[in-house]
Amino acid sequence: MARIAGVNIPTAKRVEIALRYINGIGPNNAKVICGEVKIPAAKRVNELTDAEILAIREIIDRDYTVEGDLRREIAVNIKRLTDLGCYRGLRHRKGLPVRGQRTHTNARTRKGPAKAIAGKKK
Amino acid sequence: MTRSVWKGPFVDGYLIKKAAAANGNRNHAIKTWSRRSTILPTFVGLTFQVHNGNKFIPVHVSEEMVGHKLGEFAPTRTFKAHSASDKKAAAK
Repeated sequence: MARIAGVNIPTAKRVEIALRYINGIGPNNAKVICGEVKIPAAKRVNELTDAEILAIREIIDRDYTVEGDLRREIAVNIKRLTDLGCYRGLRHRKGLPVRGQRTHTNARTRKGPAKAIAGKKK
Repeated sequence: MTRSVWKGPFVDGYLIKKAAAANGNRNHAIKTWSRRSTILPTFVGLTFQVHNGNKFIPVHVSEEMVGHKLGEFAPTRTFKAHSASDKKAAAK
């Protein structure tokens, strides 16, 4: 069991893969971290020495915003836009796409499941 | 794609002059059609009347707005939503 950056306990997977279970560490960051600690690609999390885990922890603490801090940062950024009353803020408020995508059709990720319009047939 | 830094922020030239002139009296609003102009730090505290294609929207520039464009604060579209309980469609 390895706890890195709070509650994350990735298990028998390769280190490079397991690190991605941390919110804020993607494929590229995971690779960079492994390179920095000099962990071979084939090594699994349960084969890590304590020193290596410590090194990984240190690097993440030092160089990366991760988990709760990252979520907070994103929320603050969005809040800044909504409070400012600029176009992007308005789009966030209405739950519509922010970056100029079409909304005539699609945009379901932002708008959520389609709502049926009463009386519309065929 | 973000704008190259070496170009500096884009602002219509006349707006800089007007803002510099208006710096004395803070409550005079500057009417402008230049929605494409970046808000400069020198604009903070001024009020602009930004055209949205129909009328002028008053925009009071605060410190946080620096770096945004004037047009971002004057929406050009009216949002039309279906009312929650639309009985008209149900009666059909």
